[in-house]
Amino acid sequence: MPNSTRKKIAIVIPGYNEAKYISKVLSKVKHKAVYIVYVDDGSRDKSAQIARRFTSHILIHKTNLGKGAALKTGCDYAFDQLKAHSVIFMDADDQHDAEEIPRFTRALETYDVVFGERRMGTSMPLLRFIGNKFASILLNFFFGVYIPDIPCGFKAIKKRVYPLLRWNSNGYEVETEIAVRVAKQGIEFGLVDIESIYRDTDKGMTFLDALHISRCIATWKIAL
Amino acid sequence: MIVLQALAVIFGVFMMYVVRIHRRKRNLEPFEYGGWLAVWIIFLFLTLFPQTVQGVAQTLQIGSALDFLLILAMMILSFLTLQNRLDNRKIEKKIEDIVREKAINEKTPAHRRHSKL
Repeated sequence: MPNSTRKKIAIVIPGYNEAKYISKVLSKVKHKAVYIVYVDDGSRDKSAQIARRFTSHILIHKTNLGKGAALKTGCDYAFDQLKAHSVIFMDADDQHDAEEIPRFTRALETYDVVFGERRMGTSMPLLRFIGNKFASILLNFFFGVYIPDIPCGFKAIKKRVYPLLRWNSNGYEVETEIAVRVAKQGIEFGLVDIESIYRDTDKGMTFLDALHISRCIATWKIAL
Repeated sequence: MIVLQALAVIFGVFMMYVVRIHRRKRNLEPFEYGGWLAVWIIFLFLTLFPQTVQGVAQTLQIGSALDFLLILAMMILSFLTLQNRLDNRKIEKKIEDIVREKAINEKTPAHRRHSKL
């Protein structure tokens, strides 16, 4: 990828009460792209103050809106204000290895959307793995496209497809809505297999979230 | 029937009291207050004199006046639920837009602000 294009990539990290991990995450990513955008989604802890030590692009939601809303704020800012060419999403809880960012930037040379795919390894709890596969099968059933790891938050999109993908979901279902929109719009996507790291098992999707997402997929078949 | 009517009357009177409280707290405008009071007065009247709508029920080939009132209540509840959901969504969207705009504007110098995508 030419250097000028590489400079146009922004890493967008949404976070909610991530004081425990945010300095570690931002210190790892700070040299991986020119723009590091941290969206603090109404945290009650000192996440935003900590993040200021690593990047000047801190966006603060005054109230908690959810991951989807935070990603949308980050994208609007990166594409509209920073004039970024592409964004890479990462989670703020140190689940993703910053060393894998160059693989996403390389994949962006070919594809408009790049999904991370966690390797089936030791650290992904079995129930999560089953839930992930269930979502992929459901998506394949309704839309005829198989995306192996839909809930994975490590993904990348180019500016030119953002208007087609700009999601309505505010919560965790955003990952599924992006996958559904990619499938419905017939956007070509690439996959990058990434390390599966679980730092905090109390966070992430619950069984109720999984049920909600299943209902959303069925609804989006008709409504999106 | 008498027990059911008694329960419905107690409920109706309680709801009139709730409406009154909300009017005193200025949560309801005078017009809304009048409207809701009318709803509960009609509810009480129909509870005490269900035969009033017997004719309508017969015309619509519904078994009894009470069945007719139940169907009517379900229709009203469904409408109000939908209305509430739509209003809620509208408010959520407005809050989301305000929070996002504030987050971006507080970060971006005035001379660099652009319209949204």
